[in-house]
Amino acid sequence: MTAASDTRFLIVDDFSTMRRIVRGLLKESGYHNVDEAEDGVVALHKLRNESYGFVVSDINMPNMNGFELLNAIKADAGLKHLPVLMVTAEARKEDIVRAAQEGAAGYIVKPFTKATLDEKVQKIMQKMAAQ
Amino acid sequence: MNAAADADHTTTAATNAAPEAQATSPAVHRQLGEMARQLHDALAQLGFMPRLSELTDSLPDARSRLSYIATKTAEAANKVLNSVDRAKDEHATIAAETRRMAAAIVADPVQAVASGSLMNFVEDVESSTARIDQHLTDIMLAQDFHDLTGQVVAKVVKLAGDIEDQLLELLVRTAPPGQAPRPPAEPAALDGPVVEAAGRNDVVANQEQVDDLLASLGF
Repeated sequence: MTAASDTRFLIVDDFSTMRRIVRGLLKESGYHNVDEAEDGVVALHKLRNESYGFVVSDINMPNMNGFELLNAIKADAGLKHLPVLMVTAEARKEDIVRAAQEGAAGYIVKPFTKATLDEKVQKIMQKMAAQ
Repeated sequence: MNAAADADHTTTAATNAAPEAQATSPAVHRQLGEMARQLHDALAQLGFMPRLSELTDSLPDARSRLSYIATKTAEAANKVLNSVDRAKDEHATIAAETRRMAAAIVADPVQAVASGSLMNFVEDVESSTARIDQHLTDIMLAQDFHDLTGQVVAKVVKLAGDIEDQLLELLVRTAPPGQAPRPPAEPAALDGPVVEAAGRNDVVANQEQVDDLLASLGF
């Protein structure tokens, strides 16, 4: 089994600053293998052509939003095992419930702390290891 | 009727219509001109034209102000992140050097001092901390975007408020009797950040509420 710190992350967010912040936080937590995509279309292309173990995705993005990306991942036999952690400013309850029902592994609302990101990533990693 | 006859018929119809269009065109233009003048006069009488015109002129300025905010905030964020990266690199170097120096002192304290290693280490630490201090100052200075963009935001918000007031007043004055002056706003597909969560029960205000909501649904 791949050690948790070797897990390859894909951060999907249309704001480069946010991608950089999440990358930095993951790096501080020992996850150095991190890639980025600026929207769902680019992310899906990368996911289908490269190997990743964890997706951290925004929701409100151009071209293909986070919900559409989540659905595409869960509908793809080769990708549906991937955990998708939503990190978003969308704070409506219906969006949170929708994300969970459509297969998101976790939901973080912006602005968030490093502790929150660590906690959610760890929890998802543990769940994956137990499966 | 064959194709040639069809074409001929069309041409004939067009030829017949042309003089009619030429005859009615000045009348139509005159009518349109009168309508435009009436609308202009009506708006002027209501007192909207000068103000609306002034507000419309301000829109390109508002666009450039918003671009300015986007640029300034992006620059500030990158400046801060670059400074943090450099400061963390300096910090990592000092930490590694400290560990190396400690090991050298434990192994042979006399040699560590006599070889000049200890003094070199002290000088390295001093120059490195000076660079870190500069990075921290850069981070502090980068926050000036808050003040600058805050002022610009206030101006754009005022302009948007003025336009809204003027258009609403125009709508109220010109709406046919019995019709609601303002259609209900359609909820956006995605709302973005919640600016004001107080008094709303359709949104969460923090991560704790997200976790509670998901836990209550068994996720």
